Amino acid sequence: MGRRRRRVDRGAAVGALPEAIAALSRTLPAGPSPEIFRRAKFDRPEAAPALWQLLFRVLSPLSADGASASPAQEAQVRAVKSELRSQGYPRRALAQLPEDGSQGSRELLLALAWLLARGPLLERLLAQTRVRLGDEIPLCECEALARPGPPVPRVEADGPVDIRHLQWLMGKLRFQWRKLITSQQEQCALLGKGTCSSLSSSRELRRSGSDWAPGTPPAWDMATSDLRDALGPGLAGKPSLSPRSSHSVSLPLSSLDLLARPEAASPTTRTWQSIHSYTRGCHSDRSLGHLSVAETELLRDAEGGQQLLRRLESENVCLEAALRWRRQELVFWRWMDTVLGTCPPEASQPTFVPRIPERGAGEWELVARELQALQEELRGAAEPRRAAWEARVGGWGPEWSAVQRASREAVGLELAALQRAWERGGAAAQPHGPCRLVKSDAGASGGPGLRAAQVIEVLRSREACLEAVLCQLQRQCRQELARLAGALPGLIWILPPGR
Amino acid sequence: MSIVTVQLGQCGNQIGFEVFDALYSDSHCPQGLCSKRENEVYQASCKERFFSEEENGVPIARAVLVDMEPKVINQTLSKAAQSGRWKYGQHSCFCQKQGSGNNWAYGYSVHGPRHEESIMNLIQNEVEKCDCLSGFFIIMSMAGGTGSGLGAFITQNLQDHYSNSLKMNQIIWPYGTGEVIVQNYNSILTLSHLYRSSDALLVHENDAVHKICAKLMNIKQISFSDINQVLAHQLGSVFQPTYSMEGSYHYRRNPLGELMENLVPHPEFKMLGIRNIPQMSENSLAYSTFTWAGLLKHLRQMLISNSKMEEGIDWQVRPPLSGLPTLGKVSLNRELHFNTSIANLVILRGKDVHSADLGGFKDPALYTSWLAPVNAFNVWKTQRAFSKYEKSAALVSNSQFLLKPLDTIVGKAWNMFASKAYIHQYTKFGIEEEDFLDSFTLLEQVVASYCNL
Repeated sequence: MGRRRRRVDRGAAVGALPEAIAALSRTLPAGPSPEIFRRAKFDRPEAAPALWQLLFRVLSPLSADGASASPAQEAQVRAVKSELRSQGYPRRALAQLPEDGSQGSRELLLALAWLLARGPLLERLLAQTRVRLGDEIPLCECEALARPGPPVPRVEADGPVDIRHLQWLMGKLRFQWRKLITSQQEQCALLGKGTCSSLSSSRELRRSGSDWAPGTPPAWDMATSDLRDALGPGLAGKPSLSPRSSHSVSLPLSSLDLLARPEAASPTTRTWQSIHSYTRGCHSDRSLGHLSVAETELLRDAEGGQQLLRRLESENVCLEAALRWRRQELVFWRWMDTVLGTCPPEASQPTFVPRIPERGAGEWELVARELQALQEELRGAAEPRRAAWEARVGGWGPEWSAVQRASREAVGLELAALQRAWERGGAAAQPHGPCRLVKSDAGASGGPGLRAAQVIEVLRSREACLEAVLCQLQRQCRQELARLAGALPGLIWILPPGR
Repeated sequence: MSIVTVQLGQCGNQIGFEVFDALYSDSHCPQGLCSKRENEVYQASCKERFFSEEENGVPIARAVLVDMEPKVINQTLSKAAQSGRWKYGQHSCFCQKQGSGNNWAYGYSVHGPRHEESIMNLIQNEVEKCDCLSGFFIIMSMAGGTGSGLGAFITQNLQDHYSNSLKMNQIIWPYGTGEVIVQNYNSILTLSHLYRSSDALLVHENDAVHKICAKLMNIKQISFSDINQVLAHQLGSVFQPTYSMEGSYHYRRNPLGELMENLVPHPEFKMLGIRNIPQMSENSLAYSTFTWAGLLKHLRQMLISNSKMEEGIDWQVRPPLSGLPTLGKVSLNRELHFNTSIANLVILRGKDVHSADLGGFKDPALYTSWLAPVNAFNVWKTQRAFSKYEKSAALVSNSQFLLKPLDTIVGKAWNMFASKAYIHQYTKFGIEEEDFLDSFTLLEQVVASYCNL
């Protein structure tokens, strides 16, 4: 009886493991088949390339749509190694793997397991590739700022660069900046506009019901596609916004008519405000209450809707796989223990030092020597200045120490006030990343999330900080210019006319 | 995105009317040669940019009319209202009962500050009607009194109040043998002030348009109305909607912004000119057919030989062979043969527009050495035909073509200034000799920059 049970258990376990691995792999981007995992346990070389690619996709920051051609094998290998090292991966064996990516599948498997165990890897990946539906504005951009951007393309200038070309490029930048500001102003104006007056127009309602796409006035399409173009790249990071098919959007007949209304097409109603007002009561999610631009567009543009549907379905598949993985991951971890067991015992690990390439050794010494020289120079410059300052300060006598004490107390009080404000404001509770805009009636108790007033506060304080930084930078530039101008006697600076 | 037009003076108001009329007629032209749906999108795009909605359906031009005399404004308003198709806003005009006697200083120092608030209020009203403001057109003449002086003042004000919006000044370059004695003074003062506060100066030369009317349109008695219609046709062919990118069927939202970004980012090179091909009377239109190859060949030669129209092109002018110095880099004493461009924008409208081959415009020999053709040359297209022309091409060019006229005007003004002729009329109203000298300096700098391309 017991034996049979054990066999059943083992049978169940044997079946569960490939399932678990399949679920995991479907959740990950570029996930390889369970067979690859099995081969990796036995350190088979044919499993290595797939695992290198998987680790690369998991560790590298998300590129736009993930559509850029993946770099060469060596570049991938190097990137993975350096990223793992910077995250503190302890096993030396991985760093010693050859760069052509042909070996070491077991080490890679262990690395993957380490990443999975360490932090919410799957959740983070799924959040990055989420399909976004709502009208969003970014609230806190700390994640975006912390992530290093794409490498700046280095343009080697061969020969002297004509300054007119530089001026040309500067001018283009300025124009693009102004375009950006204008479109931002447009967005703000759209949000801030009161309810449009053309709601009570005398035009006939077009009872089109199911006939949307051919009958839609083109201005609406233009307008919403413009909004989409304007909003898409800047906000959600995705070029196309598309609605969720899994939520059934139930539309009463009256709002179908609203969507088909001619006024809806006229430019004056082309606002988020109007979309939010028009579609009130349409959304199946009661807490939101109205459709977003993206959702509205889905209803008008059938082909775009199909595309969106497909993307949502693939996302659903990923999410279901993730749920299955969560239920079955214990099996996977038990199996990983066996993988670790099959590894040969490692030699005692000395502290991990990065391998310094031979030809660079001389340069390192040079750098070290320069650093030392700079430090001494700094010390030499700072000492007499400090002494002079102290002499001056000392010469002021007791009133100076009183001033010092007073200022110290004032600073202390300010710090304490700031700390209290910080704790009271519950600033730690701020959500990060983009937030969905929802228009609700004034006086309705807010659901989760922030009210517009708080967001405005946050943005204002950030604006003040940035302005201060800008002023400081401008002052520095001016001082630098003055220094340069003073440094060359007999040189006259003629500024170009106007802007 | 919408454009607000400020029509200044007699010239500005008359031209402005023709421009809106041409835009409206084209957008409602039945022979668009494209599908009904696309035509609707085209119409809607044009309408949003230049007209605003009104209750009973008659579109209102997004314009502010300013003049110091009431006569021209009244004429313009009634002409627009009579047509019944579009009109000007009831409260969009500002006029006084006195003129300015062709005195730039009077327009700049007296009229300007006195009426600044009223005019800026009118502009503000117009701006508020726009969902999104792309920028301003300011139509004015360079040599008159009201248009030029007041125009310079208004442009400066717009720079202060709407610093992020784009400003394009449409300037009418006076006849070489103009009738106003001080037109050269007015011109240099206008140009120098506008160079500082405007983003782009789109110049229309009266001489050139006059020739087009005479030779191409076969008009015997050329009136200002004919000239203005040709001008409006040229402007319309630039600013009517075009596809936003190759292969797309969405219309570009911000042509003004993209035009400026492509053509005038450099602060020293702001002068633009328009060439349009073909241009003919409506009677001849029915009997003519064109190919893109032919049109573009003529347009290219018009560009490099600095010709204003498709007749009388000098085909001898050739781009310089690479390696040899440009023929254009000669002193102004000799004839400038070859017109070096900084940047060009070609706009194609009509049938089979995607088959047009623009290789000739991408020749690096056409352009200055510090800007490669990939950055210097842009093309906009749409299949929708413009104003009954089955195929039409327009060229907006930032090149040396205004060099000679500018140099001539500066020279003549300097000669007058050297003998202090008529200066007292300007100093009487606060424009000192210093201001003249500043203007000369700036324009000499512009001439030198263009010369050294």
